[in-house]
Amino acid sequence: MLRASGLRKTYVTPAGDVHALRSFDHAFEPGKVTAVLGPSGSGKSPLLNLLAGFDVPSAGEVWLGDVAINRLPERERSGLRLRSFGFVFQSFNLVTVFSALQNVALPLGLAGVPRAERDERARETLERVGLLHRADHLPHKLSGGERQRVALARALANDPAVVFADEPTGSLDSANGALVLSALEQVALDGRTVVLVTHDVALAGRAHSRLRLLDGRLDSVDHGGATVPEAGLQDAALTGPAPTADRAVPLTSR
Amino acid sequence: MIAQFAFASLTRRPLRTALTALGIAIAVGSTVVFLSLGEGLRQAFDTGLAGLGPDIQVSYGVFDTTSLSSVPQLPQRYLGAIEEEAEAYGISAITPVLLYLRGSLAAATAFMFYGIPEDTDLGRLYRDYTIVEGRDLAPARVERGDDGRVPVVGPAVVGEQTAQRGGIAVGDVLRLNPSAAFEVVGIAVADGGLLDNAILVPLEPLQAALGAEDRLSFLTLELDDPSTAGSTAEALREAYPELGFQTRSDLSSVFERAVRISDVVRLGISAIALIVGGIAVANTMLMSVFERTREFGVVRAVGARPRFLMGLVLFEAMVLALVGALAGIAVGYVGALAVNQYALDLIGLDVAAVTPRLVAFAVAVAGGVGLLSGLLPAARAARVPIAVAVARE
Ligand SMILES: Nc1ncnc2c1ncn2[C@@H]1O[C@H](COP(=O)(O)OP(=O)(O)OP(=O)(O)O)[C@@H](O)[C@H]1O
Ligand SMILES: [Mg+2]
Repeated sequence: MLRASGLRKTYVTPAGDVHALRSFDHAFEPGKVTAVLGPSGSGKSPLLNLLAGFDVPSAGEVWLGDVAINRLPERERSGLRLRSFGFVFQSFNLVTVFSALQNVALPLGLAGVPRAERDERARETLERVGLLHRADHLPHKLSGGERQRVALARALANDPAVVFADEPTGSLDSANGALVLSALEQVALDGRTVVLVTHDVALAGRAHSRLRLLDGRLDSVDHGGATVPEAGLQDAALTGPAPTADRAVPLTSR
Repeated sequence: MIAQFAFASLTRRPLRTALTALGIAIAVGSTVVFLSLGEGLRQAFDTGLAGLGPDIQVSYGVFDTTSLSSVPQLPQRYLGAIEEEAEAYGISAITPVLLYLRGSLAAATAFMFYGIPEDTDLGRLYRDYTIVEGRDLAPARVERGDDGRVPVVGPAVVGEQTAQRGGIAVGDVLRLNPSAAFEVVGIAVADGGLLDNAILVPLEPLQAALGAEDRLSFLTLELDDPSTAGSTAEALREAYPELGFQTRSDLSSVFERAVRISDVVRLGISAIALIVGGIAVANTMLMSVFERTREFGVVRAVGARPRFLMGLVLFEAMVLALVGALAGIAVGYVGALAVNQYALDLIGLDVAAVTPRLVAFAVAVAGGVGLLSGLLPAARAARVPIAVAVARE
């Protein structure tokens, strides 16, 4: 279980202190997609960076189970990111010199999985996002939607407990965005915690719960479940301009 | 994983990789050529000269590398003096030698005249001494009175290499100076390099021709028991403090010292090339770290430790340096062959040799250059903050 308590983040800059996060407490439910909403500058990304262990808070703790990850030395925090967290970025952030398969195999390689096994497992994960046929392509040969699915496969490669996504649909059209969200829903169905930062109220509506940040504080929590009917999104996905290959996402649960 | 990552990074930017490796290749190549010169001289010495030479060589004053080319200084009276005491010192044979280098701008006409008594047992001075054409030095008389203008004062036996190089045949006349010439009566070969460049002539006519009747370049002493050379030389030094007595190992250390000094000079020149090559690698790696800042941030976000990036950059620098080194060794080898081609024509000796230890040295130096030049970029890479991965572009 991922939990934040008394989380605060102040960036000290030459131009003065920036209080990006003033106070944040929340326990993220496993098996659920939690959307984080809020206006630009409200501190969503700083929050995600703290939760994912990219950065350490100015005060407060981030707990994964009974481990306060902000107190770990960087070496161990890296190991924890590697094995327990997956991350999907707005701008895909694939390793450009690696093929799709090598990108997915990267976290496995970092975890010390031997070459043959890692390629095999990376293949399986790529297949789950429907991109096995593009395994040997470099990222620049893939469409935005495909790149984001490779990124998702990379996030899932080490079978993480928590998947973070900061505006994962921000660089995609609505149809591809919807596909990525469906994939994240599937990820949550596997029992993982999914933390999704998005501006897209429609997408956020499909999450199991919504946190609203305002000026670095948790403004409201909404456990209302999906507020947008499933059908509507399915339609959007099918009628959107996504290429055919992107439409069929055979994301089978494990 | 590091290897796979490094390989992908290097091969996806082939031009940059090739250019950087080329920089190292040129640096290592020139180092190999420079150092191969010393190696070749050493090898020539070890295989040719080391086993030869007298048990003790007697010179006037301290012997050093300039003694061979300087004017004869050893008064001939020492020959008689030492001969008288030969038995007491355990000396079995004494050979007086007068060296005269007839220099010339054209290598083919520069000769080393080697004046020795014509009845000298040359098999003792040169290992496997054999006359391949004509006759030996003795008798010291020649039929011919002159070559038209210059009087012929004695016979000469020419080393085969010198003969080939200078186009010399039996019956030819070699002019020493305007007042003396020698008639070639024989061509000889021997193991090792000494005879290759020598023209053997009888001592007395050479002394007369040079106007140095009572002068020698040095004496060579053969001992009953060569293993006593050190103590015998010591005893002789006490008896004749004005003379220099060099044992075979003294001579090789003189030679070794000379080669060492030239090693240092050549290493110094190579070091400049290596530093430039190292800077090229460091520059490339710094640029590529800078370019990949975001990518490195992503790799850190995914879970790599700072040390992974450090290792990656060092590994890439090492690969660049070692690939460059291998190419450089190939270049150096070709360069050494070219130098030898030239040197063989000039002095009849392979002066350059690419020995295994030179190859090992080149690889080690390139590895060191790679490591050193990779350190700064690697430290940079390790400090890439994860935040850059998630920052807006
Ligand atoms: N590394 C940093 N150094 C200094 N200030 C920072 C840093 N990261 C974030 N901030 C500041 O923290 C505040 C909140 O960050 P940010 O704008 O990323 O929030 P956000 O909710 O993710 O916004 P957006 O929806 O535009 O992504 C902003 O004022 C920002 O300038
Ligand atoms: Mg943000």
